[in-house]
Amino acid sequence: MSLANPVVRGRGRSRRMRNLFALLTVLSLVAFACGDGGEDTSAEEVTAAQAQAAAAQSEAAAAQSEAASAQAEAESAAEALAQAQADLEAAQAAAASAMEGDEASQSALAAAQAALEEAEQRAAATAEASEEALAAAESALAEAEQMLDEAMMEQEAAAGPVTVRAAITGDEATLNPYTYISGFPGWNLLMLQYDSLMQLDADGIPQPWLADTVSVNADLTEYSFTLVEGVTWHDGQPLTAHDVDFSVDYYINNVEASRFARDLRGVEALVVTGDYSATFVLSRPNAGFELAALADVPIIPRHVWEGVELPSEHDFGPTNIGTGPYKLVEYVEGQSYRFEANPDYFRGAPAVGELVVIVYADDAGAQAAIRTGEVDVIFERVPPEQIPLLDAQDPLDIALGPEFTTQMINYDASKRPFDDLAVRQAINLAMNRQDIVDTVFLGAATVGSPGWIHPEHRSYNPSMIPVYDPAAANALLDEAGYPDSDGDGVREFDGQPMSFEIITNAPDSLRLRIAELTVEMLAEIGIETSVAAVETGTWEQAVWPGFDVNNGRNYDIAMWGWSAPVQADPLRLPQLVASVPAGGFLNLTGYASAEMDALSAALPVESTEAGRIAILLRMQEIIAEELPFVLLLYPDGAYVYDSSVYSDWEFIAGQGIVSKLSLLPPSARP
Amino acid sequence: MRRRLDTRRLTQYGVVVLVAVTLNFLLPRLMPGNPLVLIAGVDVGLLSPDERAEIVARVGLDAPLWKQYLRYWGDIFTGDFGYSFRSSRPIVDMIWDRLPWTLLITGLSLIVSAVAGVTLGAISAWRRGTKTDLGMLSGMISIESLPSFWLGMLLISIFAVQWGILPSSHAVTPASGLVGWAHVWDIASHAILPVVTLSILATPGVYMTMRYSMLETLGEDYIRTARAKGAGERRVLFGHVARNTIAPVVTVLALRIGFAFGGTVIVETVFTYPGLGRLVFEAVSGRDYPVMQAAFLVFTAAVLAANLAADLLYPLIDPRTRTS
Repeated sequence: MSLANPVVRGRGRSRRMRNLFALLTVLSLVAFACGDGGEDTSAEEVTAAQAQAAAAQSEAAAAQSEAASAQAEAESAAEALAQAQADLEAAQAAAASAMEGDEASQSALAAAQAALEEAEQRAAATAEASEEALAAAESALAEAEQMLDEAMMEQEAAAGPVTVRAAITGDEATLNPYTYISGFPGWNLLMLQYDSLMQLDADGIPQPWLADTVSVNADLTEYSFTLVEGVTWHDGQPLTAHDVDFSVDYYINNVEASRFARDLRGVEALVVTGDYSATFVLSRPNAGFELAALADVPIIPRHVWEGVELPSEHDFGPTNIGTGPYKLVEYVEGQSYRFEANPDYFRGAPAVGELVVIVYADDAGAQAAIRTGEVDVIFERVPPEQIPLLDAQDPLDIALGPEFTTQMINYDASKRPFDDLAVRQAINLAMNRQDIVDTVFLGAATVGSPGWIHPEHRSYNPSMIPVYDPAAANALLDEAGYPDSDGDGVREFDGQPMSFEIITNAPDSLRLRIAELTVEMLAEIGIETSVAAVETGTWEQAVWPGFDVNNGRNYDIAMWGWSAPVQADPLRLPQLVASVPAGGFLNLTGYASAEMDALSAALPVESTEAGRIAILLRMQEIIAEELPFVLLLYPDGAYVYDSSVYSDWEFIAGQGIVSKLSLLPPSARP
Repeated sequence: MRRRLDTRRLTQYGVVVLVAVTLNFLLPRLMPGNPLVLIAGVDVGLLSPDERAEIVARVGLDAPLWKQYLRYWGDIFTGDFGYSFRSSRPIVDMIWDRLPWTLLITGLSLIVSAVAGVTLGAISAWRRGTKTDLGMLSGMISIESLPSFWLGMLLISIFAVQWGILPSSHAVTPASGLVGWAHVWDIASHAILPVVTLSILATPGVYMTMRYSMLETLGEDYIRTARAKGAGERRVLFGHVARNTIAPVVTVLALRIGFAFGGTVIVETVFTYPGLGRLVFEAVSGRDYPVMQAAFLVFTAAVLAANLAADLLYPLIDPRTRTS
């Protein structure tokens, strides 16, 4: 049938095929054109910027060559002088070899010859004279070194402020206080544009920042501050106490809940006492107000935010207006951010002139980017197995320091057999923390204190020592009545085998490895476990249903971890260990103790730092004794950066390098 | 004379749309996990019951399921899908930002894989049973079983990390300020690796179809007739075999347009390419229900449109199907 009139049909078909191909071509061209239109930078702007950049580049190149020649001069002078210093023969040999080399520059030769002749003359005269020559050589050397330093400083100044390109692994939306997404690094990037009244220093302690002075009354209910005068918003308007007043009011009363509204819970009023001074009046004493609120809440400009009802959906125009060291000048959703330094920043112009933050889909993408030089720093922690690999590559360096995130074992302490202290203590004794740190984290973690608080934290109780003793754990279980009566290697409780599931979230491969080691360690003491690695949402629903502890728990044993803020502020400890009715919002294990509840209530109203420390030390003792959970380790923070681009990163204890401190000149840091 | 879309066919499409839209609505909500953590962040545990209720109400998750479902249908007809939970941006804007990139790389990879698959398939069938044919066949089968993320990462490690000749990610150099031809080259160089990955993965399907379809044609009587009347090999290949083989291949290609969208989820994630696939990945990991609903809808529309195109194209290409 298909043979009928093939020629005629064929012609028609080929025409249609041509049309089809034409259509495809047009479609792909359209797609290409659409892709091309993604940017909205005006051409003029770019040309001007390019010209500027070219000028700066040629300037920098000139300075560089100048500096290079100065350096070469200084180096050759230093070399020749040092040689002259040593002894005459060596100097002669050096000069001879220098003269032989074709590549040796004339100035180097001249310098070497001059030094040599001088040394020769003096050495030939008397021993005294040669000592004089030595002194002269030394001073000349010092002078040359100074010249070199100056040349290098000149070069840095001529090159202008550096541009740093940073990788993150998730989009952070438009980065205003109602749209930023993650607590880390989203909040940290937010705070490049905004300031809070106080700022954490390198030890993680709040220091006055926008506030000049902060004082608190004896019963911890009134925090008074005066503002630094002369601070301006990015649009040039002055910052006053009325902006602070507006910010506090806005966060507390806006229909959209935010982290900052929670920070400010308990604020009864902010009494403005002048254009640059005000007092927070709290409804109850709060010793943690500086850390939790004053150093956390970004101050927003009244003249911009007034009348904004739904801030998360409001269009604030091309840039956010803050007082911070950086202005966000470009945001391409899902791809990148470009921050420009605020030259008028009240603590001094930032050392990094431009910060480009590039979004990658995952760790692997960010690591590939720093290897290829596409970025200069990764604003996320580097996993342990990558640390030595990245560190080995020149010019990459690793900033390593303590961080307050945690890896721990949770169990449902409200039900059998985990309600028995002996079982919890046996599990604690069975855990070889050092082994986990060494095998899973390759040493890049700190062994966990059984009392929860990190050894580098100022509230740490130094008597907390983790003990690994499976024999003692077995003895404890034997004594408490958990025999292995059928001899299968698994103990029994209430007539059932001690056999449980350890639930963990599959995407966290390190946590999964810890869970696997935990299975082996618990097998040593006759507790049989198996790992259930599930999707993160499922895991959260089991351990923390609906993110509300009032909903109870649906697990036996779970691997868990808290983010750094939970530990950074020790006054949040009650949230973890107080019973649920006593304010244990984060108490996921159903643990309850009357003494702990009493201490939890006393902690925030204790007026002296020493008194608070005493309470915290006691709470750590109870945690280590009664084990509401078993803390295993604190992963160390490791950040990789390209030291040839910028290396002045400040590691804030427990928080890492992503903060405005890292980008300000050292003199401007608290 | 052309076979039209009759009522039965339209009903079929209607049912498919209904089922697909319902699944698009239900799937996000059936997944375990809670969008609350995305909206409230790390301190989700510190929310008071009032704050929880406020957030849930603001994003419309407090309404009964059937009301949310009706609202979704309303969104489809008005073309306004509301705001993302995650970024608080209008979802329509997000999709328009991402769609051109996905069209660019899927369009190019479709062309590349079509040309490569058809050519190689034809050669393979023409030289049926030879070493060339068997080598190609086993090569294509191996390629088909490659995991896409693995292939993507392999290409990144060779071309971006080892040799440093192509960028490892993104669609343009971020914040580069490039214009004119430099900008075009920037886009092209960023598209190369994703397009190559997608093309390699899509070629075996086209190749297989082409090869089998051509083998079938080669056995037909009219080929023997053509040879008998003294037509040259070239004339037989292009004039008789290729023309009669093209119909099933075009069908496969049309269907691939739909599937190509799905394939971008992993490839765009590996290359941090800002297309729809990556948007879906981000939305799924964050339980961003409204974005998932809208993006799934685009995928659904792509698959259905491709099917429709195949249905309409087929009679144009293959007169045998033009029955009245």
